[in-house]
Order: sequence, then structure tokens, then C-alpha cells
Amino acid sequence: MAEKGVKVFGMWASPMAIRVEWALRLKGVDYEYIDEDLANKSDALLRYNPVTKKVPVLVHDGKPIAESTVIVEYVDEAWKDGYPIMPADPYERAQARFWARFAEDKCNAALYPVFTTTGDTQSEVVREAQRCLKTLETALEGKKFFGGDAVGYLDLVVGWYAHWLPVVEEASGATVVTDEELPLLKAWFDRFLAIDVVRATLPDRDRLLALNKARREQLLAA
Amino acid sequence: MEGKEENASEAAPLKLLGSWASSYTHRVQLALRLKGLEFEYAEEDLANKSDELLRLNPVYKKVPVLVHGGRALPESVIILQYLDDAWPERRPLLPADAFDRALARFWCHFADDKLGPAVGAVFTSTGEEQEAAVRQVHENLALVEAELREGAFKGRRFFGGDEVGLLDVVLGCGSYWLAVFEEVTGVRLVDADAFPLFHAWLRDFEALDEVRETIPAVDRLLEYARGVRHMLLGLAGAGGAGGAGADAPSSTAADAPTASPPPAAATATAADIAVDI
Repeated sequence: MAEKGVKVFGMWASPMAIRVEWALRLKGVDYEYIDEDLANKSDALLRYNPVTKKVPVLVHDGKPIAESTVIVEYVDEAWKDGYPIMPADPYERAQARFWARFAEDKCNAALYPVFTTTGDTQSEVVREAQRCLKTLETALEGKKFFGGDAVGYLDLVVGWYAHWLPVVEEASGATVVTDEELPLLKAWFDRFLAIDVVRATLPDRDRLLALNKARREQLLAA
Repeated sequence: MEGKEENASEAAPLKLLGSWASSYTHRVQLALRLKGLEFEYAEEDLANKSDELLRLNPVYKKVPVLVHGGRALPESVIILQYLDDAWPERRPLLPADAFDRALARFWCHFADDKLGPAVGAVFTSTGEEQEAAVRQVHENLALVEAELREGAFKGRRFFGGDEVGLLDVVLGCGSYWLAVFEEVTGVRLVDADAFPLFHAWLRDFEALDEVRETIPAVDRLLEYARGVRHMLLGLAGAGGAGGAGADAPSSTAADAPTASPPPAAATATAADIAVDI
């Protein structure tokens, strides 16, 4: 019997999983969401993604795809008559992919130490993270969203910052995204969070904060 | 976009900034050749990067960078997809089906995030660290082999099907380092018995005309790799380090290129070669 429909294997606090949900919701696609316990992964997840064993995984009519940025592009192509996620112009597509990769490889790596450090070390890494985000911010210049007048691929990839970073900041006792240092990014946070499909799917802030606080305590104690 | 504007854009000149030993550069050269696109090539000295490169790729300062109609495109996998987007009528690198495209993209991530760094780690380490890196490479190759044997790529001559595609270019340009690293470090990476399908694919890939035009002669690669490894081991002060596969510096001294790069440059090239696959 052929499997039909769309499933998303994710985890409630995963920024990677939420991208996939945002993409599907922009396209108006119904999906079943399966929340994974990452310490005790389901047989289904391991069967659908034996290579990296990670969330998110999208299963479309029984066929699995892993890697959130790959999934977002797939959603755009599989439901090509819906909301346009990728830019149409080849050069702009390349730009969007470039900044997405930059954010994932560099900015995320620069942000993580903010979470795991204290004192002077933390101040140092905060400055590093700000430098990285300032570079990313150049892609916003003169635009409402990274995608232009409307959200696009890059907004979906880095959009998690808008909800997660303030939580990470609070849990870590640091501020990274300020009006002085990152005015464009801060303004974009507000615009992004006002988008319907984004508002509809965000993880509970208090729950996210509690999780991050506990995790930070754990890491600092180690 | 139709008509004149598109044709002018397609006709705009192409220039590639690259490095002769960079597999990322080779990916772009190969893709351009497969698509039958003319381009100007500019060789970069990675130890002494040109103002042009720094201006065109200020974020990463790396090769390759493709310049098209005055606009710069860095990052090899992004460039390859740009070539497909900008010249959709010329020998597409990605398949037409959305799911197949997603598969190709997934495995490109795998190549650059998992397999490549693991192979690089084999090259830059010795002893137990190297043994662990070798195991990692084998685990990763086993995953690719499984996909060829019974998974998404079952029965295919190339990852792209009957013809090479994006994933072939990405995996292939870099897999030639496997044989070179085996020679230089003395470890076994691609056993034809353990990975028969991968081995067969690589052999078929390397036999293609466009590939032979693109990949440098193996003795040049060997000389280069020996020089870098010699420098790395010298820098690490690991001379004569024990453990299986360690390459004693003294035995390679005779093979090291006569114009050895200064240590800083060697680290720069080592970093490029180490993350290259």
C-alpha cells in the first residue's frame, strides 16, 4: 500500500525542524508532525534517515528527505505553484544559498560559544558573534526581508534567530542583537515574527527558556 | 526573464579564479566543460591572494570564485547550481525530478560535511588519531556504497544516472585525493573489495574525457601532497611518529618539491588541501 501525505519528523525546540514547517505552511500544505525524543529516537526516524539519523526529516508519499535546507528547496520545487520560496533570478538564488550557508556554518558556530561561556570570555565571543551577524546583515540592506518585500528562503533559514536568540541571550546573561550593533537585523526580527505562519508555529518561549537555562547549567558544570 | 536580456546575460563572459590543486576549483572547471561553456581561468597563489580575489570574495577569501557579467559567485556547490539555473538548456547537472534533486543535494552536503573532512583528517593526522579518521572515512564510504548497492542510486553507472550529474562532479572532484593520500600516508582508504561499486564508479568517472582534462596529473598531485604532509608533520614536531600509516618525514625529504613553501603558506595550503576531498 503506497504511503500518502506529508510527515515531518522534528523536535519542538529544533530551529532546523521549524524551517520545514514554515515552508510547508507558506505553501498551504497539510502535514503530520512527529515530535522526536532525541535521546530515544523512533524506529521510524532511523529507518527514514539512516545516514545522519537527525531531525528534521520530511516524508512525502513515503519518500524521505533529510537536511533542512535541502528540504526547504524541495518543498519549493514539489509545490511549485504555491508561495515562491526561492528567488526566481539565478544570481539571487545563488546569493540566498550563499548567505544561508554562511549563517549555518559561521554565524551558528559564532553564536554557540555565547551560550557556553561566562565573564570576559563571553564578552569576547559576543563581539565575534556580532561581527558575524553584521556580515549577514548586509544581505538585508534596503529590504524588508532577506527575500525582498516578502519572506523567502533565507528568511526561513535564519528566521529562528528572531525567536531563539532573545531566549539564548536571557539564558546566557548576554546581549548580542542590539539596536546599536545590529539595527537592521533587530528590525527584521519584529517583521519576521509578525508573519502569520511564523506566529502559528513558534515553540513556547517559557519552555524554550527553561530548556536553554538547564542546558547551560549542565554545560558550565561539566 | 525572456528574450534579449536573458541572451545578453548568458553571453556575458565567464572568468574563474581558482587554484590548480583545489578540488573545489576542479568541480567548477569540470561543470563548465560539461556544459560547453567558455571561460577565462586565473590561477591564484593561495599563499599570496590577489586583490581581485579578496574583492570578489571578501567573506571567505577562497577559491573558486566564478565571475559572470561582473558578478561574483563563490562556493563550488552554489556555483554549480548557478550554472544550472543560468543555463537550464545546456546539459543540466541536476535531475528534473524534485525528489531526485533533493537526494543529490543531500549527498553533496554529506560529501562536504562528512566525507571530505574525514579524508582531510586522515591526511593531517598520525597514529591513533589517524586510525580513528580512517575508520570514519570507511563508515562514510560504506554509506555511499550502500546507496549504490541497494538504495537511491541502485543500478546506476553514475550518481546522475547514465550521465554524470552534480553529485558525480562534487564527489568525483576530490575522490582522486583518496589514491594520493593512500600513497602518501600509507593507509588504505578505498579498498576495491570493501567498496566495489564506489571503486567502479570512480574508475568510470576518472576515464571521462572532460574529467581527464580537468584533474591534474597524479604525479603532480603526489608531489604536492607529499610536500604538504612533510610540512605538516614537521610543523607538528611529529617527526617519525609511531602508529600505523605514519609517514616518516625523512623518507619523503627526497620527494618534497624543491621550492618548499614557507611554513605560513604551507599551513594555508594544508588547510585548503586538508578540507578538500
